[in-house]
Amino acid sequence: MAGEGVQGPRSDKAILPRRAVCLLPLVLIAGCTGRQSALAPAGEDAAQLKLLLLVMLAGAVVLWLALNGLFYYVTRIRPGAFHIRHANRLIIGAGVIFPTVLIGALLAWGLSIMPGQRAPGDGLVIRVKAEEWWWRVEYWPQGSDAPITSANEIRLPTGSRTELRLTANLYIHSLWIPALGGKMDMIPGRETVLTLHPQAAGTYRGQCAEFCGASHALMAFETVVMEPDAFAEWLRAEAAPAAAPGGAGAALFRDEGCGACHTIRGTDFAGTVGPDLTHLASRVSLGAGIMQVSRDDLKRWIAHTGDIKPEVAMPAYDWLSDADLDHLATYLEGLR
Amino acid sequence: MSHQDQDEFRDESVSLWRIAFAPTVWAFHFLLCYAGGAVWCAKFGAAQGVGFLRISVLGLTVLALALIVWQGWRSARQWEPHDASATDLHRPESRHRFLGHAAFLLSIISGVGVIYVALPALFITSCR
Ligand code: HEC
Ligand SMILES: [Cu+2]
Repeated sequence: MAGEGVQGPRSDKAILPRRAVCLLPLVLIAGCTGRQSALAPAGEDAAQLKLLLLVMLAGAVVLWLALNGLFYYVTRIRPGAFHIRHANRLIIGAGVIFPTVLIGALLAWGLSIMPGQRAPGDGLVIRVKAEEWWWRVEYWPQGSDAPITSANEIRLPTGSRTELRLTANLYIHSLWIPALGGKMDMIPGRETVLTLHPQAAGTYRGQCAEFCGASHALMAFETVVMEPDAFAEWLRAEAAPAAAPGGAGAALFRDEGCGACHTIRGTDFAGTVGPDLTHLASRVSLGAGIMQVSRDDLKRWIAHTGDIKPEVAMPAYDWLSDADLDHLATYLEGLR
Repeated sequence: MSHQDQDEFRDESVSLWRIAFAPTVWAFHFLLCYAGGAVWCAKFGAAQGVGFLRISVLGLTVLALALIVWQGWRSARQWEPHDASATDLHRPESRHRFLGHAAFLLSIISGVGVIYVALPALFITSCR
């Protein structure tokens, strides 16, 4: 009591930072929203997984409290010897039967969810092949016998289940769109299947979720979820050949050999080493989700490819003049 | 090892096998279920579904559980749990009981393991 006046201000100071620390979780919770969060689901499958997480988390919290409560009870509230019969009952009941049944129930529930995550699709099939460090994407609408080819972006309609058939070129990758569902490995020479049922239109970020090499962290993509009508319209446009503009850019594209690696449907360029560029300018990102489809980024990409993305299979055209880069960028920006 | 130890070791060799028995059943059950599932799905799953696979897992599980229960019952008898004097381990006879106790507990955990391993077969509807 006597020291109160002296201690008051000092303990206030000590309390303030502690309060700030208590606020830290709030800052972290802010990370639970957004376009790459499993806790902000935009599809049936992600919602299911979020529920699973929350139930497991709640269970873990209850267990933690019960166990530590028990510790507290036997060490502080009622220390001393237990009757052997009570001790045995406690160990067998709370230590053996209870966790076995609880884990068994959680396991059964988790297993019962799994078939849903691979439920058959409603018609549209999207084949995705993971390349070194980008995504080859093909749309196979129901009944089609040839794909609509795209790259580095996945578009999905809301309100129906789409089947993603996955494979990989050289290394094992994993496809993960946290807002829409679980992840699935992509394995060379094998096909794995993931089906997704998006519910809310929007743009969500996907990411390669299995370390695959030098540019693993730079291997992302945007997922654009659209209302069914808008999606059908987009798919029609995507199937059409490029509105390929001519001019100096087209000539450079030919002379620099870009067409040996890139396809632009509607032109003579038919390379398949790199991503299809037919509708590059209508995509929402460049270079597998790492840049914008803007003039600056296009020029930077063409001139400094390997600096931006280590071990990329496309050479850096750093000898091109700024004017030439401008021409190429103009050409690419015309690929709507 | 003294002579006496050697004698006891020989006498208890059956108990030692008994300890390893239930976990071994669990291991083989695991191996057969998983390897069988992989082979079935690679060879026949697409055409014939998973009906046969699920029945096989069920059969293997019933067999494994029967073996484990039988083993657990034998080790419980070796343990003689109602005899409270079996707690001091310096006598060979108590050690004999202790080995039964250990084998009994291992049977329980193996049984739980077998059930957990078999659970997926209850829920799978295809090889996907
Ligand atoms: C040796 C083959 C090769 C050549 C030649 C080549 N590229 Fe590429 N290009 C690639 C590969 C592979 C990628 C994907 C790289 C990645 O993201 O990992 C790529 C990516 C791109 C992208 C980004 C595509 C997207 O989906 O975001 C553009 C734009 C591009 N190249 C333009 C060009 C231009 C312009 C030229 C000629 C000046 C050219 N490329 C020459 C292989 C090549
Ligand atoms: Cu990858």
